[in-house]
Amino acid sequence: MRFALSDEQVQAAASLRGLLARDFPATALRARWDGAPDDGALWSSLCEMGLPSMLVPEAHGGLGGDELDLVSLLEECGRAAVPGPIVETCWVAPRSLSAARLGALAAGSLRVACGDGEAPLVADAGEADVLLLCRGDEAFALDRARVELSARQPSVDGARALFEVRWDPRDGEAICSADELRARMASGLAAVLLGLSRRMLDMTSEYVQVRRQFGVPVGSFQAVKHPLATALVRLSVARPVLLRAAYSLARRDPARARHASMAKALAAESALLSARVALQAHGAIGYSFEHDLHLFMKRAWALSAAFGGPLEHRAKIAAHLFDPPPTENP
Amino acid sequence: MKILVPLKRVADPDNANKIKIPAGGATIDTTGLEWKPNPFDEYALEAALRLTENGATPKTRGGEVIVVTFGPKECETTLRAALATGADRAIRVDAKDDELDGSIVAKALRAIVDKEKPDAVVMGKQAVDGDSNQIGQMLAQHLGWPQATFAATIEEEDGALLVGREVDGGVITLRVKLPALVTVDLRIVAPTSVYSKQTKRDFKYNDGVRFAALPAIMAAKKKPLAELKLAELVSDTALKVQYSRFEAPPSRKAGIKVKDVAELVTRLKNEAKVI
Repeated sequence: MRFALSDEQVQAAASLRGLLARDFPATALRARWDGAPDDGALWSSLCEMGLPSMLVPEAHGGLGGDELDLVSLLEECGRAAVPGPIVETCWVAPRSLSAARLGALAAGSLRVACGDGEAPLVADAGEADVLLLCRGDEAFALDRARVELSARQPSVDGARALFEVRWDPRDGEAICSADELRARMASGLAAVLLGLSRRMLDMTSEYVQVRRQFGVPVGSFQAVKHPLATALVRLSVARPVLLRAAYSLARRDPARARHASMAKALAAESALLSARVALQAHGAIGYSFEHDLHLFMKRAWALSAAFGGPLEHRAKIAAHLFDPPPTENP
Repeated sequence: MKILVPLKRVADPDNANKIKIPAGGATIDTTGLEWKPNPFDEYALEAALRLTENGATPKTRGGEVIVVTFGPKECETTLRAALATGADRAIRVDAKDDELDGSIVAKALRAIVDKEKPDAVVMGKQAVDGDSNQIGQMLAQHLGWPQATFAATIEEEDGALLVGREVDGGVITLRVKLPALVTVDLRIVAPTSVYSKQTKRDFKYNDGVRFAALPAIMAAKKKPLAELKLAELVSDTALKVQYSRFEAPPSRKAGIKVKDVAELVTRLKNEAKVI
């Protein structure tokens, strides 16, 4: 059995990394914080790279790929902290929307936001054409025109737009169980979180090699390098778990919800630890808005809590293990 | 236009600290190295793609780009990446790295050119591992073709290429009749560096090389990739260049601060012995 991603999957991730480094550097992310409007160019590039069409079947104009083809691309989006409903549109919607909407999804002309029914706010609802929302045990798809949005609400992440949503399930179409939708979102966010975690560690590793104190780089001190190594270990442990979740989703494994929870719990813990270690290693400059670190740190904080934080997902894993659903045999 | 682009894989320059030289220095230990396409060859591929398309409609090909590399089976990863980027077909000449030197590669490329009959060969000015900077010039000599080296701009004309070369104090523009050989420098991937006859002169490309989209990466698996044997192309396979010994460069000493210009001059004269 091969446990690594294919050459094509690795190449696609490297290609997207290069494109995002060129077209969406940290200065562009900072501009979004400062209120720069989205001109659509980044989304067009992502469409050209095949993100929204990856999971859409070929019969509907998509590429007919699976979650393993997409997961490392979401990591790259996380590494660049790409704003907007990428996970919702590219990872969740193709497996949740009715066939009639898949053509538009593959073409990049339909964007989707997701709400978990427990948190009062929905990210990126303002730019979505369709909202996938949970109520009770069910998830519903509603056109944007069928819901009422509040004004944009403040977020710890200035590039993340939050909205309160008023809606009635009778205006929507039941699409799947709420747990299924939450598991898909959790696994997609796990990929983004690992990309963020990697970005913060890379930034910090670079910084501690050039920041000098007592005549040597601060990265040579055990008090700095050991926490960074610990954070890298946490990241390295989380990544195979993420790939396992992607594999389970692609094959509709009965235990996919548990695997998604494992991925989200470990990815969120990795990102939170990387953020804490990065902040510590950067010293005072890490607290300032002038340094780019906070752009990635605050996205990590926001996404770690979205669709269940680590404790909630660990509780779900325990529940699955001690009282497994009838369809799952752990 | 039909263009041949030779590609070489090189050890990732960003991980140069992973290069190990075993005791004795007879060879380089390549274990654990990550391989990347030679950056100048990537620029050559980008230039060739621009010359065979209308920049405004790049999905419609207006010519053919053939990429060729020399090396073991693993080198096909480099070729597949080039095919995903837009090259139309690929050739791998099966050979071990230590069976090759610039002379052999230039002769083998000549045999491939004789067979494929491209209108131009566009290649990187040098590989960033050996930095030899000689295969393009040798190949042009073997072919008897005009050559324009270190190109910073290329403009296609009827039956010719107009090539700009950056030199001390300015830019020299050469007109080379096709078929011709061009080696490219860094700035060939600037937004207004390369124009085919189809591309309008006010069109601007993105800065740098293009990135392969996922659909193209998947489609690349179906593009033709031929394998040739080195012995089929070159009768004399004796190496003209032999490496007698490798050694790592000496580690740099930390710099010092001097009190004044007089001390600087004294040290440059007596210690560094550069003046």
